[in-house]
Amino acid sequence: MRSPLPNPLYPRIPVRRLLLATLLPSLALGAGLSACGGRSHSSTIQYYLTNEPRSLDPALSTDVPSGEMVALLYDGLTQFDQDGHLVPGLASRWDIDAAGTTYTFHLRSGIKFHDGSALTAEDVAASWLRALDPKTGGGRAWPLLPIAGAKAFVAGSATSVPGIHVADDTTLVVRIDAPLSVFPKLIAMPVAAVAPAPLPANFADHPVGSGPWRFAAWDRGSEMRFARNPDYWGPEQAEAESIRVRIIPEALTIAAEYEAGLLHVAEVPFSETARWEQSHPTELQRRAAIRQLYVAINTTRGPLQDVRVRQALNYATDGATILRTVMGGRGVRTGGALPPGLAGFDSTLAPYPFDPAKAKALLTQAGHANGIDLELWRTGRSEYARLAVSLQQSWAEAGIRVTILERDAPTARAASAKGEADLFLTDWYADYPDAEGFLFPLFHSSNRGTGGNRAFLSDPELDQVVTQMRTTSDTALQARLARQADARAHDLAPWVFLWAPVDLWALSPDLTGWRVPAIFNGQHWTGVRFTTP
Amino acid sequence: MGRFLLRRILLVIPTLFGVLVVAFLLLHVAPGDPVAAMVGERADSLTVARLRAELHLDEPLPLRFVGYVGGLVTGDLGTSYVTRRPIARDLAERFPATLELALAAMLFASITGIAIGVLGAWRPGTWWDRFLTIGSYLGVSFPVYWVGLLLILVFAVQLRWLPPSGSRGVSYLILPALTLGMRSVAVLARMTRTALQEVLQSDFIRTARAKGLREAPVVLRHGLRNALIPIITVLGLDFGSYLTGSILTETIFAWPGVGRYVLDAIGKRDLPAIQGSILFLSVVFVLVNLLTDIAYAKADPRVAFE
Repeated sequence: MRSPLPNPLYPRIPVRRLLLATLLPSLALGAGLSACGGRSHSSTIQYYLTNEPRSLDPALSTDVPSGEMVALLYDGLTQFDQDGHLVPGLASRWDIDAAGTTYTFHLRSGIKFHDGSALTAEDVAASWLRALDPKTGGGRAWPLLPIAGAKAFVAGSATSVPGIHVADDTTLVVRIDAPLSVFPKLIAMPVAAVAPAPLPANFADHPVGSGPWRFAAWDRGSEMRFARNPDYWGPEQAEAESIRVRIIPEALTIAAEYEAGLLHVAEVPFSETARWEQSHPTELQRRAAIRQLYVAINTTRGPLQDVRVRQALNYATDGATILRTVMGGRGVRTGGALPPGLAGFDSTLAPYPFDPAKAKALLTQAGHANGIDLELWRTGRSEYARLAVSLQQSWAEAGIRVTILERDAPTARAASAKGEADLFLTDWYADYPDAEGFLFPLFHSSNRGTGGNRAFLSDPELDQVVTQMRTTSDTALQARLARQADARAHDLAPWVFLWAPVDLWALSPDLTGWRVPAIFNGQHWTGVRFTTP
Repeated sequence: MGRFLLRRILLVIPTLFGVLVVAFLLLHVAPGDPVAAMVGERADSLTVARLRAELHLDEPLPLRFVGYVGGLVTGDLGTSYVTRRPIARDLAERFPATLELALAAMLFASITGIAIGVLGAWRPGTWWDRFLTIGSYLGVSFPVYWVGLLLILVFAVQLRWLPPSGSRGVSYLILPALTLGMRSVAVLARMTRTALQEVLQSDFIRTARAKGLREAPVVLRHGLRNALIPIITVLGLDFGSYLTGSILTETIFAWPGVGRYVLDAIGKRDLPAIQGSILFLSVVFVLVNLLTDIAYAKADPRVAFE
């Protein structure tokens, strides 16, 4: 077991020796050795993000790091727990009318923001309007667009949103355009979290919410600090005194920080999987992520319009071997787009087997006996580099010749959204844990391009099933329709189906009560405590 | 000297304007939509259209350029598309960290590199000269990324003498400064050795020795001063590049400097942030070059005279 560093000061003598040995100009900089953060800082959880959040303002939380931090500072009417279950948040309960279009949210009374002001339904309404307002510049208000009148407000043709009605301080009535069973999950997303109205002065630099943690400081590019909110209303209180969230972009540096005893949790880099399984077996936690890794096949381009060619790509993919050798086995092969853990996932839907002979036969049937030439686009992510080459080799066996194009992420994403890429190696994270969050954006024809359907699939039968799944409130029927839609997608092969990644994290023996969250904003760090006082 | 300085300062203006025009044009014709990068994977076309209008991305390029230059004239570098914060403020918060790292790396590199070079030039062909020469070749050859991770592994993970990353004090500065300065140590050592060796063959050095001066003043006062021009060149160029391009070191050591800020901005297609950073870093680079020129003139007055 690792011993913690003798904080707050590193040993003086070795540092001095090192300074002398390397002639470093420490004295010239006019500073002495300073205290360093470390696990042994009493009751401060040491955590990290790989990217700096865009903002701590919920209306600007369009990225995962911002969403994670918003979950510390703010509350929504509904929210997710660590396991991805939807639980009541600021609203203790809600009623839905018979038509499925009017929601009445009953807010808890007596909830206060960190600055002591009372939280009311007016704050919820104002926060949502602010998130929808294009002048705010958020750009990710789509979870609120189902609300009646929201689209006109975003388009600038209306100055209010009639679908949001404040009945009294603790009652908010929300009318949506059409029945949408996933709506309570949409408003659990960070962009719908509640801030005071009007916003306190200097809100951008000193955010105020009602969540389990209060904002303490943000050193840009370096770290953020949050202190426990002793007045938190929630059923589970924050146990630690504070959380320090550092910004550490490099995966191997994160691993080193953990091994040096300076982080309490760390995601294990793919390349380090085997070593960590040997060196830290008791500290590792696994969780199948609600995420899919796949190659989007542009169903509108050349030979890829033919379903036999798309199926040939799937048969030519030696997914099991690539997963084992390139990704350290950290994934679950799936036959469709839904990852395990979601209602509607069908474990009997088998992945396409690796069968190059069948792939060649399908290509021949489609009139491509001499094979085909395609371009595979990928971003610069390191695991994609090896993965793309492995796929290229696997497909070559069936006569599918692929040129790999590496571009930076915005360029590659823009090209695939415009339909310029034959094949696009990418992944899809759940915004909320629901089959709808995969099947609707990824395959419905209304979302072709920037909406998420990078395969440009347009299949009336699939559209109809997905639409029915979205509107019904019968959960058993939803799951059945999700299985049906996923099976249809499997047959149409708009993707090369790869696998749902498995998250692998290390948790320090100093902490207990932490689990790998199922969804990025489901980790509130409440109930996480130190094993020794 | 005054005319020399004035001439150099006047040259800065067209240089920076050129940088401004090229950076603006390149960024605006480069593929990748800033709005698409902002809104993420699941974007609705309505929001994308409104956001493009809000950010003036639908306006003709010349109009946007005039607007941008107009802002610059009033000292406004613009507002980040992503964070909605003034870029000048972001840069002001990040630059001190970059400057601190660059100064530490440069001091380490200059003291160590020049010392190694002087030792080699003073007694060429000795075992320590050969050892240091090989060492300096190795120093040039190792990539920053590899050196950084190796130092973290040894000093932070194995020995636990120093923190692996962060920026909370001098102990955090040591590993990144060593990593960043390593390459300059090697280049400076080789440059100093070559230049000083040449100077030490000169007639005036032989005269100084014949007059009975001790060896240390001969080498350090008379020899080194006359070998300074190439050393200043390397120092100036390296310091300029440290201030403007230590992206890898800042990333490995989670150092909150300008390099990482630019990298993040590029990844998010945050055009105002990229433009503002380029312009700011160009000013810094030009200033460092100006200081280098002044140092030339101080070291060798013939430079100013010419």
